[in-house]
Amino acid sequence: MFGKTLRIVAVAGLLASSILASPAGAFERTDKGNVIVFGGRQAIPVLDPHVRYDWSTRMIQQSVYDALVKYEGNPAEIKSWLAEKWETSADGKSWTFHLAKNAKFHNGDPVTAEAVRYSFERGLKLNKGVAWMLKDFLAPENIVAVDANTVRFDLKAPYAPFLSFLPWWYIVNPAEVKAHEVDGDYGQKWLTDHAAGSGPFKLGRWEPNVLYEIEANDTYWKGWPQGEKNRPAGVIYKIIREPAAQKAALQRGEADIVEGLTPDDYIQIKRVPGVVIEDHKGMTTFGIKFNTQKGPTADINLRKAIAYAVDYDALIQIYNGAASLESSPLPDAMKGFVSVPGIPRKDLAKAKEYLAKSAYPNGGITLPYVHVAGLEEARRIGLVLLDNLKELGITVEVKPEQWPNMVAAGSKVETSPAMTSVFTTPVSTDPDAVAYQYHKASWGQYYAMMFYDNPKVSEMIDQARAATNWDDRAKLYADIQKQIVADQPEVFGMLQNRRWAHRDYLQGFQFSPVRFTGEVDLYPMWVKAE
Amino acid sequence: MTTPVELSRPLTFRERHESKIRQWRLYAHMFGKSFSSMLGLGLVVLFLLLAALGPWLAPYPEDTVGAFNMANKLMGPSVGHWFGTDEMGSDILSRVIIGARTSLWIGLIITGVGAVIGVPLGIIAGYRGGWVRAVIMRITELFLAVPGLALALAIVAALGPGITNCVLALSLVWWPGYVRLVEAKTLSVKEELFVESARSIGAKTPWILWHHILPNCMSPIIVKMSMDMGMAILSAASLGFIGLGAQPPAPEWGAMISVARTYMPDWWWYSLFPGAAIFLTVLGFNLLGDGLRDILDPRSRDR
Amino acid sequence: MLTFAFRKVLTLVGTMIGIAALTFVITNVAPGDPARLVAGPNATEDMVATIRTEYGLDKSLPEQFVVYMGDLVTGDLGQSIVTTRPVLEEVLRYAPATLELVFVAMTLGIVVGVPLGMLSAVYKDGPIDHATRIFSISGVALPAFWFGIILQLTFAVDLGWLPVSGRLPLVTRPPQTITGLLLVDSLFAGRLDTFWISLRHIILPAIVLSFPCLASILRVNRAEMIEVLQSDYIVAARAHGIASFRIVAIYALKNALLPTLAMIGLRFGWMLGSTVLVETVFDWPGIGLYAVSSALSSDFKPVIGVTLVIGFFFIVANTLVDLAYAWIDPRLRSA
Repeated sequence: MFGKTLRIVAVAGLLASSILASPAGAFERTDKGNVIVFGGRQAIPVLDPHVRYDWSTRMIQQSVYDALVKYEGNPAEIKSWLAEKWETSADGKSWTFHLAKNAKFHNGDPVTAEAVRYSFERGLKLNKGVAWMLKDFLAPENIVAVDANTVRFDLKAPYAPFLSFLPWWYIVNPAEVKAHEVDGDYGQKWLTDHAAGSGPFKLGRWEPNVLYEIEANDTYWKGWPQGEKNRPAGVIYKIIREPAAQKAALQRGEADIVEGLTPDDYIQIKRVPGVVIEDHKGMTTFGIKFNTQKGPTADINLRKAIAYAVDYDALIQIYNGAASLESSPLPDAMKGFVSVPGIPRKDLAKAKEYLAKSAYPNGGITLPYVHVAGLEEARRIGLVLLDNLKELGITVEVKPEQWPNMVAAGSKVETSPAMTSVFTTPVSTDPDAVAYQYHKASWGQYYAMMFYDNPKVSEMIDQARAATNWDDRAKLYADIQKQIVADQPEVFGMLQNRRWAHRDYLQGFQFSPVRFTGEVDLYPMWVKAE
Repeated sequence: MTTPVELSRPLTFRERHESKIRQWRLYAHMFGKSFSSMLGLGLVVLFLLLAALGPWLAPYPEDTVGAFNMANKLMGPSVGHWFGTDEMGSDILSRVIIGARTSLWIGLIITGVGAVIGVPLGIIAGYRGGWVRAVIMRITELFLAVPGLALALAIVAALGPGITNCVLALSLVWWPGYVRLVEAKTLSVKEELFVESARSIGAKTPWILWHHILPNCMSPIIVKMSMDMGMAILSAASLGFIGLGAQPPAPEWGAMISVARTYMPDWWWYSLFPGAAIFLTVLGFNLLGDGLRDILDPRSRDR
Repeated sequence: MLTFAFRKVLTLVGTMIGIAALTFVITNVAPGDPARLVAGPNATEDMVATIRTEYGLDKSLPEQFVVYMGDLVTGDLGQSIVTTRPVLEEVLRYAPATLELVFVAMTLGIVVGVPLGMLSAVYKDGPIDHATRIFSISGVALPAFWFGIILQLTFAVDLGWLPVSGRLPLVTRPPQTITGLLLVDSLFAGRLDTFWISLRHIILPAIVLSFPCLASILRVNRAEMIEVLQSDYIVAARAHGIASFRIVAIYALKNALLPTLAMIGLRFGWMLGSTVLVETVFDWPGIGLYAVSSALSSDFKPVIGVTLVIGFFFIVANTLVDLAYAWIDPRLRSA
């Protein structure tokens, strides 16, 4: 009734609104061409490619910087970029990259082997952001600029996933960075809101917490896939914090593409003419991690009982069907994935059977379920769990926590909660990125809150890391997946689909599952004018 | 002239308290004449009834403890669900009704703790004077110098979200108001003749505080507590809205709106009804407090 | 008068230090770990340690406190760990948006509150008085966040008359920053269209923010007017046959205005506090939004900084009110 009245008033007010409001304006047109507007919820506090990387930050980093190689496509593949080709030594320890000779930084300097060496050294020495990916295997002094266009990395040990991390190591222009160095900070202060890259875009307006603009690089050394004529003049990344406001912005044509609508919003907006939904299977896994070392959940029978009591269909319903159940600890899109038979699905009889075998045959316990405050889906999954475990006589206490506090609690066996909801996005397509979360050496990290300890699994993971032959690795990973499922250190949940809503005139959207939720490759996008 | 017979008969309650009863009658009459006061009283009574009888009134009581029915999610108001359903298919009417209990609880604790800390401090500061007063009042002013909501936000952010922390934080920022109110009142009362005379006949300080000072501070305290019930509920809801307050499945109005706002505007009923509930409750307590002030403490009105 | 003013300023400084100490203690009671947040999800322990060292978080709390207070004396509010920028710089960047919002809201509150207060004083205990009372108390009782959403829904989404959120549309480049207040800067730059656009953006949040303060202004104005209207000289003026309207509008209002102004001063700091909610709803890039987003990521230096700034304005407003009173009434100077 209220909504209807509003609508009637709206019709009456249409006349007034046509005078007051500017009509929906689609993409922004400037004298240089079309500017695409991306409406996102997350700010970009620090742009420095060696200091931070979250989805919004990396989306802009990927636009203004280039790396040796780049992930593209679905399934994600590593494409040559600044490096035209590369080779590995027989022992798997030495990697040599040959750079494209025409690559130029925005200020016209050529991208040299020295720039690559400096960038990796910078990343490792700052010991922030991306450093964790390589620091155990690569020392700054073992990166050698062989000649102007050849750079060699000498690893401490053979490390099969090495290449899979390189797309996230962006190359900065040493000359520019050094010119802005303050007190030996490697130019960190300056690179916070400036860029010294060679990418397809340059930085434009930079209004923190409001909008960030990037302008197309007229002389991009690699050219534009959509053609010089079609390429946009730039992209504006606009902060729109509320899903409702994002939806309104898309409908009114104030934004061309938005992320982060609620599952119900996507259903609604699909019906709006001129709006297209991108709906792709992602690589972000969801698990309810048990503390396998302390408390009631140290009992594998209780863990199994819980895993069989969960209503897995409800997890999919929460996403309105835009998700798929995990059938292994690894996401489907990952190399080496196998579907593990017998992974628990809801089966109350079995749940009760396992419960009877546990130390709590009649339930009667209270278990906390901790999730990140503000994560709506995690909260709703908590409600599902609360309802499901009532049948086992287990009370669930849904507890939101700030991310840092949750991680702090999860870093010690004693304080790690019985159940924690964790979303993990692997940073590379190499199975090691997920498997290593189950290695004992990961204890203390947020994704290892279960304090899973199976020496056999840890050993297999180490072997697979060092093996250079893919077939050997694949076999090991298959065994690892089966063993982890058998030990049930967590409830294996679902993979949510990645979704964006955009106007139909926006072309060139390319999905790649290895990117973060929300992150888009802006380089191939363009506006098709009617 | 009274006869001895009459004197020996114990006085009835009515006789003993005749002047008091007359005074209360007058209060009731004045209160009853004011439309806004009666509206406030009505709203507060309705709120208390909802809080007391909630579980019997709610059509789907199981929806308030975490039951869900995804098939019914986000349905508009209908005969089966007067206020519609939320994103888990729970009945919003039931959650709003049970939410009254959460809000009452929040309001009582915050104002209660505020008064329990603030009133004694205020009396001590006002009565003792000297450096004790200086210390108490300096600290009070410190708290008063920062808007309560901003300070509470900082506290909850540090402690972590949740209804207990939220109530704790608000209680911590709520007491200074009582100190200032009671201190000012004590200062004026302690110079009054009856306090002076009690002191001169050798009454002990605690006795004076309890029998003279406190009763004379009661009217403004009652008025303030009534107003504060509303404001405390509103503040807790505000923290809930920012995402730092009550958490599911506990039905709390602010937290409901916090979730519901992502469902605007197509599922408007989801945020409309909890919001209206907050509004009417706070309005009720404020009107009631305003009306009480007019009769109990007319001089302090608008100060 | 001068010593009085000096004493007030001293109190101000003392209170500021007190607030800083208070908020520092409060925000450090819980074991939040912002370093881990900014280090990223996969960071190893030594990477988190790097950041802790960089921000002095590895020191003991008393040490951190001493460092913080020492910096504070030199006007350094510390560094945000999320944005890596000095808090002072960021607060200065976001403050104009908040001040602009508060000024507009305050103006709205005065423009509506003062006449309504006059009306209900003149028709004391009549239906108008009751109506304004319910109206003003409703203003206090309305949850700002909910009211904001309802207004957005009605006027921005359904009717499309006003923008949903933000300060300016994307295409509009902000005028050259002089004061940071878009309404003022656009006039300086002679850009009437920008002025108009930013005015349309500010209306809804300003209405929401103005409501509670409108109520206080109304009440004070009403009470003072009633008092003044009963005073001897007004009665005398009436006896001389001066028109009722002139009495109310000129004589009485003039005398009731000072307490009203005092109330406005007192409400100023309070308003800054409630921008926390309003800015969240309207995506208004001010210090309230900055405080909320910092608090949600356990980044406490900005929270303390914003609290200090709000406290500062609040105390300054109070001090100005005190000084104004003292200037008018010398008896108060000894207080």
